[in-house]
Amino acid sequence: MRDLRFYGLTVLGLVLFPFAIHPIGGYGGLATQILIVGIASIGFNLLLGYAGLLSYGQAMFYGVGGYMALLTVSRFFPDHPNFWLAIVLAVAFVTLMALVIGTLVVRLYGIYFALLTLAFAQMFFFIVFKWRDLTQGDDGLQGIASPPLGLGPWSIDLTTPFPALDLGPFGNLSDLHYWYVFVAIVTLAVLAFMRALVRSQFGETLAAIRENEERSRLIGFDPKLYKLAAFVIAGALTGLAGALRGLYETSIAPDSLTVETSGNFVIFTVIGGVKTLFGPLLGTGLVMYLQNVVSAKTDAWRLIEGIVFVAVIVFLPGGVLGTFGRKRARTDLARAVRAKPETTP
Amino acid sequence: MSDPILETKGLGKRFGAFAANGDIDFSVREGELRAVIGPNGAGKTTFFNLLAGVARPTDGEIYFRGERITHVTGSQRVARGIAKAFQTANIYPDETVLQNCRLAALARVTGFFALEVLRSSRRLAEVDRIANEALELLDLQPLSSERAGDLSHGDKKRLDIAIALATQPRILLLDEPVAGMSLEEVHKTDGLIRGLAKRMTVLLIEHDMTMIMGISDSITVLHQGRILAEGTPAEIRANVTVQEAYLGGHTEGHL
Repeated sequence: MRDLRFYGLTVLGLVLFPFAIHPIGGYGGLATQILIVGIASIGFNLLLGYAGLLSYGQAMFYGVGGYMALLTVSRFFPDHPNFWLAIVLAVAFVTLMALVIGTLVVRLYGIYFALLTLAFAQMFFFIVFKWRDLTQGDDGLQGIASPPLGLGPWSIDLTTPFPALDLGPFGNLSDLHYWYVFVAIVTLAVLAFMRALVRSQFGETLAAIRENEERSRLIGFDPKLYKLAAFVIAGALTGLAGALRGLYETSIAPDSLTVETSGNFVIFTVIGGVKTLFGPLLGTGLVMYLQNVVSAKTDAWRLIEGIVFVAVIVFLPGGVLGTFGRKRARTDLARAVRAKPETTP
Repeated sequence: MSDPILETKGLGKRFGAFAANGDIDFSVREGELRAVIGPNGAGKTTFFNLLAGVARPTDGEIYFRGERITHVTGSQRVARGIAKAFQTANIYPDETVLQNCRLAALARVTGFFALEVLRSSRRLAEVDRIANEALELLDLQPLSSERAGDLSHGDKKRLDIAIALATQPRILLLDEPVAGMSLEEVHKTDGLIRGLAKRMTVLLIEHDMTMIMGISDSITVLHQGRILAEGTPAEIRANVTVQEAYLGGHTEGHL
């Protein structure tokens, strides 16, 4: 019954979303972008919200995911470009990357964890920036058309627009491409996966470890293992988002790996509400809307974004959903960000 | 006489030049209730931390049921059957009392690499059974739906023991279980610990000498990180060296 409600309302929301943002100045493409980035935020929430780990380097998974997807199409298999292969290779590579980096960082706490993830992200930024032969340096990879989406006997070009149908203030259907439908389905799948994960023993244990790591170790859980798993899952989802972004935009540049991009995931998640299922998606939508729509109207949009961020932290410490959500997260930002230091005897 | 369940050989822990524990040859039999006593700073808590895997020894070896576990991590030792309750109650304050024990039972019932880990724990009746049993043994069942952080000091300490119990240990390490409790609570907890000792091996650090003398099968006295004496309560009471150590140092416990 609760499953039915979850799926029903989520599908309804995803269907209405692109039309809902039209009257307030949004457009169909923005809806697609928000969902793509939202997938990364949902994954990041597993780290920040449930594991209590503030990673400041998620952009490395995002950017590398994007580069891998486009390189798969343009460089690795130029004769047989395949949509699924691009995504699978990108996610597999990023997962492996998260596993290696995660093994090194999960032993750290709080600010040290944040700094080391930041350092890794900077490292990848410079690799991408300097490896011109492969990545075209600061020009990035440009104009790499996404292969059609193969589904059994069908082959769907995701850039196909919907038929022209004027919906008045809710835009014109032709403003939307099949891309939106595909990304919405992926978003639904990611939400369902995260919902199940958080309610599973794994999620239960992860939250316990965050609340009291020492006790958790001495009832038989291995905190590092659980944190590593959270790190890898978050990394993989961020890599998936990056791959989708690369294929959707047909281009990727080193700015996808910057500190700013990493910081965005933190801001999106915190504003929407850590430790809530829909919070990260909502936060991503709110801030990206500000970034895209308000920036077209005023140069002071950065100021507005900053004020919103500060206001949320001060007045809604659980984030928008964490504060107003029906199931109030029993946590506040301070606890989410401040990981428990290890007690040494 | 049964084989020792837990044994140490030449166990030591140095912090720089300071030896918190040294040359500890210790052995406890299955089913025994052993008290570890000593003046403040004698190294009792350090010794327990070495046994539970909270800290790593700098010298010596630890054996559990014949297996060398010196380099086995704390969480793996729990899986083998060593559980510890802490000196200051170490609980999940934001969870309910029952959930505190459910987590411990969960750790015991499924491993990380079992696919079960991706399913909800609500399906596992076993977890609830073990958790409730642990609460019952510590007389905490009436409080099972309370938030753990809201409990009284004594109840928190008993919950900590219940958490340890829910891991279904073979040996239970209790670090000052009645410290800070009222006389009435001490009396109650005293009885509960006796009950536990009938089911498993119990190692107990305590300052309350009346309690120690009353419930222990045997006593190990630590002094300046080393074993000073070992024996039955009567033997320890009569031991001149022990009396000197206590009277010479802090006279917190009265023999």
